[in-house]
Amino acid sequence: MNSNERLILHIDVNSAFLSFEAVYRLQHGETVDLRDIPSAVAGSQATRHGIILAKSIPAKKYGIKTGEPTWEARQKCPQLVTVPPNYALYMFCHNSLKELLKNFSDRIQVFSVDEFFLDVTGMPGADQPLELAHIIRKRIKKKLGFTVSIGISSNKLLAKMGSELKKPDAVSTLFPPEIPGKMWPLPVEDLYMVGRATSLKLRKMGIGTIGSLANCDLELLKYKFKSWGKLLWDYANGIESSAVSSSSRDTVKGIGNSTTVHFDVEDRRTAHQVLLSLVETVGMRMRFSGLCCRVIAISIRRAEDLTFYSHQLKIQTPIDSTTAIYEYCKRLFDEAWGGEPIRHLGVRVSDLSPAVHIQLSMFEKEWEKQKVIDRAVDQIRMKFGPGSVIRSNFLWSGLAPMEGGLSDDASYPVMTSIL
Amino acid sequence: MKILMKPIKMIAWFNEDGTLHPVRFNMKQKDESHITIRIDRVIKKREEKLAGNPMLVYTCQSIINNIERIYEIKYELRTCKWYLFKM
Repeated sequence: MNSNERLILHIDVNSAFLSFEAVYRLQHGETVDLRDIPSAVAGSQATRHGIILAKSIPAKKYGIKTGEPTWEARQKCPQLVTVPPNYALYMFCHNSLKELLKNFSDRIQVFSVDEFFLDVTGMPGADQPLELAHIIRKRIKKKLGFTVSIGISSNKLLAKMGSELKKPDAVSTLFPPEIPGKMWPLPVEDLYMVGRATSLKLRKMGIGTIGSLANCDLELLKYKFKSWGKLLWDYANGIESSAVSSSSRDTVKGIGNSTTVHFDVEDRRTAHQVLLSLVETVGMRMRFSGLCCRVIAISIRRAEDLTFYSHQLKIQTPIDSTTAIYEYCKRLFDEAWGGEPIRHLGVRVSDLSPAVHIQLSMFEKEWEKQKVIDRAVDQIRMKFGPGSVIRSNFLWSGLAPMEGGLSDDASYPVMTSIL
Repeated sequence: MKILMKPIKMIAWFNEDGTLHPVRFNMKQKDESHITIRIDRVIKKREEKLAGNPMLVYTCQSIINNIERIYEIKYELRTCKWYLFKM
């Protein structure tokens, strides 16, 4: 390793949600370890949130995939044991893991609920990175009871790719000289940021492995993908230089919520109500962060084929009022919706700015009065709980007056695309 | 020892520095009757933080029905609940 190179670890909990649940159960006297049997964390089927959120390694052998409906998983493996999600528990595990990792370096970045980056450059033990990683791995296993995969490299991207190489309970290195041997033979889909859409385009170009992407003509990629092509090419060559920053969570880029409705939404009014319940939480989250938004987007997932589409608009004056956002959401929905049954609805706001100085517009509606109401409602909800004040149109509607969000204190995303 | 994880009623005392000393506990038996067990000796105390959930685990010794037995009790800090973990 070069002396002026950084040393970054990526710590990834193996089947996180399932492991957390398994350890918690063992601690409470359960004799069967969920990790040793075909098992999965799955949402409730009654409310149609029935998808697999995490699975054990024995369940993986049956071909069960994260994200697939529970009934489909059961067809593959009838003896599958499913447990409900418990987001509060995940946050406890997350926080204890963070505390433990802080013993090794103060430069720590929370990447998601079960992933961390740790910059250990110059820290005690950094001259023997493999040993250090094994010490961390063993300590997590002994103290917290779950296993992790650790990737070691000189930047965040390679560390993350490294932790994927060997699972579970393992340590792998992926330093730049190891890229051709360890990373290039992998299918291109394994590269961070290559999703379904990109992979399809790359495959059409005859690029099937990370290696062929890395050795592809950069100009061609730029022509096909614009600036995104440069990023992909850099990633395939292990080029990435962002810092391990503890404050990356402070700069929120957007706030969104979505929900799977427990019945198919077939009329406009109900859809509007669901949107309102989502806007209630989005609006509150935005106001608590002291932000205003200028872009509002809604997304719709069809019930029939589960395909997905969205619609968004940009406004002149930044807003943070629940009612204002809701008005725009209704408009967006009416413009976009083709009348088909809906399974899933989402609301997202972005282009955020601090809610301190706002340039008012003569041509848009004024929301000052609404702001006062929002503030009052927020305060009541803070003091007496989220259900203390609800909009009356939710009475006897069978819908939750506020939707979305993992739990009260879940402030970390399960997945993110920003390194 | 067998894992039981049975909720129990506990009498314990705390030091000025917060150290916890279990004294005796009461639990329901299979025939629904209650039994009170005095903790004669705490052999070992350890802290566990599995799944980020802190618990104090005491290995204790008592005479139960004229037989000297060793067992483990657990105190869950977050819920303030006591359990007979293993006996």
